[in-house]
Amino acid sequence: MGLTRGVIEAMAPDQSALKAASTLLKPAKWPLRAHAGNLIWGECQGSGANPYRVAADTDDHGSKCTCPSRKFPCKHALALMWMHVDDAAAFQAGTVPDWVNEWMGRRRKGAAPAPAGSDAKSLDAAAAEVEPKPLDPQAEARRKAAAERRAHDTRRSVRGATEDLDHWIEDQFRTGLAGFLGELSERCRRIAARLVDAKAGALASRVDEMPSHLLTLPSDERIDAAIRELGKLTLLARAWRAEPDDPELRREVIASETREDVLNDSSAPRVGSTWEVLGEQITTRRDGLVSQSTWLLNVNGGPQRFALLLDFFPASAGRRSGAFVAGERFDAEIAFYPARAPLRAIIASRQDSIPGEGAWPEAGEDPLAEHAARIETSPWLAETPVLLPTGRLVADGKLHWWRSEAGLCAPLNGNAPALGLGAALENAFGLWDGARLSLVAARTNWGRLDFDA
Amino acid sequence: MRDLDASLARMRDAWMAGQSARAHCPEAWRDLADSEATLAALAGVANEVLYRSAPAKPLEPRPLLPALAAPTLPHTARARFRRILGAQKSGASVEQELINLIAARGFSVHPADWMPGPRDDWAPDLYSPWLDWVRAEASSAPIEEELTADTYEHWPWGERRLALARMRERDPSAALAIIQAKAASEPAERRLRLVEILEQRLSGADADFLETLHKDRSDRVAALARAYLARLGKGDDDDALETELAEMAELARTGLINRRTQISFTPLKTGPQIARRQELLNLVSLAGIARALKASEAQLVEAPPTGDSAAVQAFMRQVAQSGSDEAVRILAAHAVADPGLLRHAPPLAARLGIGERRALLDKIVSHDTSELPVTLAFMGRDLGVLSLEALRVSPAYAHLNTCLDTTLGNADNTQPAHANAILATHLLRLGLVLDAQGARDLIGKLTERGLSPADPRLDLLHLNAALTLETQP
Repeated sequence: MGLTRGVIEAMAPDQSALKAASTLLKPAKWPLRAHAGNLIWGECQGSGANPYRVAADTDDHGSKCTCPSRKFPCKHALALMWMHVDDAAAFQAGTVPDWVNEWMGRRRKGAAPAPAGSDAKSLDAAAAEVEPKPLDPQAEARRKAAAERRAHDTRRSVRGATEDLDHWIEDQFRTGLAGFLGELSERCRRIAARLVDAKAGALASRVDEMPSHLLTLPSDERIDAAIRELGKLTLLARAWRAEPDDPELRREVIASETREDVLNDSSAPRVGSTWEVLGEQITTRRDGLVSQSTWLLNVNGGPQRFALLLDFFPASAGRRSGAFVAGERFDAEIAFYPARAPLRAIIASRQDSIPGEGAWPEAGEDPLAEHAARIETSPWLAETPVLLPTGRLVADGKLHWWRSEAGLCAPLNGNAPALGLGAALENAFGLWDGARLSLVAARTNWGRLDFDA
Repeated sequence: MRDLDASLARMRDAWMAGQSARAHCPEAWRDLADSEATLAALAGVANEVLYRSAPAKPLEPRPLLPALAAPTLPHTARARFRRILGAQKSGASVEQELINLIAARGFSVHPADWMPGPRDDWAPDLYSPWLDWVRAEASSAPIEEELTADTYEHWPWGERRLALARMRERDPSAALAIIQAKAASEPAERRLRLVEILEQRLSGADADFLETLHKDRSDRVAALARAYLARLGKGDDDDALETELAEMAELARTGLINRRTQISFTPLKTGPQIARRQELLNLVSLAGIARALKASEAQLVEAPPTGDSAAVQAFMRQVAQSGSDEAVRILAAHAVADPGLLRHAPPLAARLGIGERRALLDKIVSHDTSELPVTLAFMGRDLGVLSLEALRVSPAYAHLNTCLDTTLGNADNTQPAHANAILATHLLRLGLVLDAQGARDLIGKLTERGLSPADPRLDLLHLNAALTLETQP
């Protein structure tokens, strides 16, 4: 059965999903809409840093979206189908991309949702403009006062929590780091829970992730890494107490701003350039969230060399395919979260992908030294993105190293794939934490090489 | 710097033991630090900024992975290859066939997508340089000298084996001389591979060397040498075993006009008897049983063997292992004309040359009721050469139509998941056997029948269709 407005109304989980979908019908929200045969797909810029990828089958009405919504179909899938029914010509003909093929491979045919609920649902009603309610000055004042009160309470609560963290860190030194490393998970979990209760969510996540980071290291390196991280937490807690309204510190301790906050913030730096997707890191955290980091490189050069698109979604939302293909290039204006050394960012606007590959900008002579410069202003930062010059990967016993032609060396976090040891690296990109290098991607004599970072 | 180094080491030791590190920290830090935590912050930053790990000894990179003679897959085909490989389940994987198909079409796989493991001797010859590299035996410079007994050790194993195989085709006695001189110095697994090279253009000239391998330390090498000697009519079967086996088989004349000798294996009464006959068919050579039955090898295969199915299967294995080239050819000709016999014929495939197998291919597929595994066995590494026309008149094509009827809802389907899996397996096999044009045409027909062009079950057919070098039609 073909896709019709009636079918979309029937499969929508509720009227509010249709209402939400109606807000996504603007073409500007969709950098990409395409079709091939009975498949349609698109990319929709949602509230996250990465765009959502949406695909649907117009024959059996199955759909898939990378957003974390628990509604099925979600507003993005409904919007995609809705736009297709209203104006199929706006979808360009294309070759089915890998991520749609992957979805096709995993899905069960006939997995389209049954018509949901018996409540009347209507696209027309969803698309109708709602008259905005007139502002009530008294209610607005009450809302503002309540927000200020909440902010004040949060600040007081977080201050107490950071002081508790100080005591906890002192306790670890007092009772001995040997014991701390022996009971890493339990001890970190306890103080992380206290930080969460006190609304210091970002700081709690960092503490909670410490065991998984330390335990990936060889046992003889854990002590130095533990000292480093406990020292950074101390500096971060003190810095926040000194400047609780600093946006970067607030982000590191409490929570990040929303996408809208960043877009509306005149102090948030913006860089328009050609960007290349260097790679993606997906990690499941102990708090049940999956973090998706997409690294972009400004291929036109300039002081703002890298951008990090960072999203979180619940692990229960299932496996999520990447928002971009590694190596993809596009022109975009990137808005950075305000920081001493801006890195985390969102895409403010983006053009279509640019076909073909190109060289990366030249790497510095000693890119590892950039880390020292960066932690001079923000000593709590854990790692620095680095563009590495021509070199090789070398196995030395169990440890693998990156070595530049000039003899600069850095031990790798984990092992390089077999090809990495046999390839000449023209350039490489990785994250340097002062002790270990986590490679993300490299340009080699065999073409682009992606590392499972 | 050395003082700081020593201070940091002492601070670390103090913190490990739960003691204050204040006494051990550099003098300048004492006024800055109001707690152990701030000392830790200073120590952490010092470690991060002032020190860099250095390898204990100079780093020696491995030689670069050598480029192969064949071009790597085009970008779009690479993505499809990765997807197909990623979908394979161990036990039912078509990894080897997939790699063989790509090599047969003149392409190699990109090393980021697949590389042979150190034990993947099955990999096509094309990958020998990579196998040597993976085994850390690759030479850092290209080898320019000729392979001789004197230069034998200069060659990495994979390249050496390949060069010997090529030499064997060109100059069998030169290859034999090198193998004869060097086999004893190789470990058993490699000795076996060297002796296997002699199968190509096997002749009486190899007999003396094979005789010396009769008592090789490796049972597998000795067995292989015995099998090759048997093919040359120089088997050393035990007379008693030959006679015992002959008593479990019968020779008769068959055919009204064209009278031929036919071996038949009558059903035996007990399990131990049946097992013993199977064992003897494995132990005795074709020449041995022919001697005991007072017939020639050629007479034993004059007509298709009949009787107990398991015994017929074992007899075909026996012919493949120890029969002369002529006996193998005659039996293969019988097999491709008889679907019942064809099921047991795969062991014969390895004894036939590529040209002979290709010439039989249309007949094989037209009688292959196994849903293609027999056809695949006969194709060996020479995959992707069957025309759609030949497929259309085969049981495999009828099976495809049945699968499509079941999965696309034109027939009763009580187990859709099972039917889908059967269709997926069959489409994989079709993707391996068809030529590029056939794969393209079949995709067209399948999408007309209702499969989506993006259906991942068509991935191998799509890949096959894309595997054409510009010089190919």
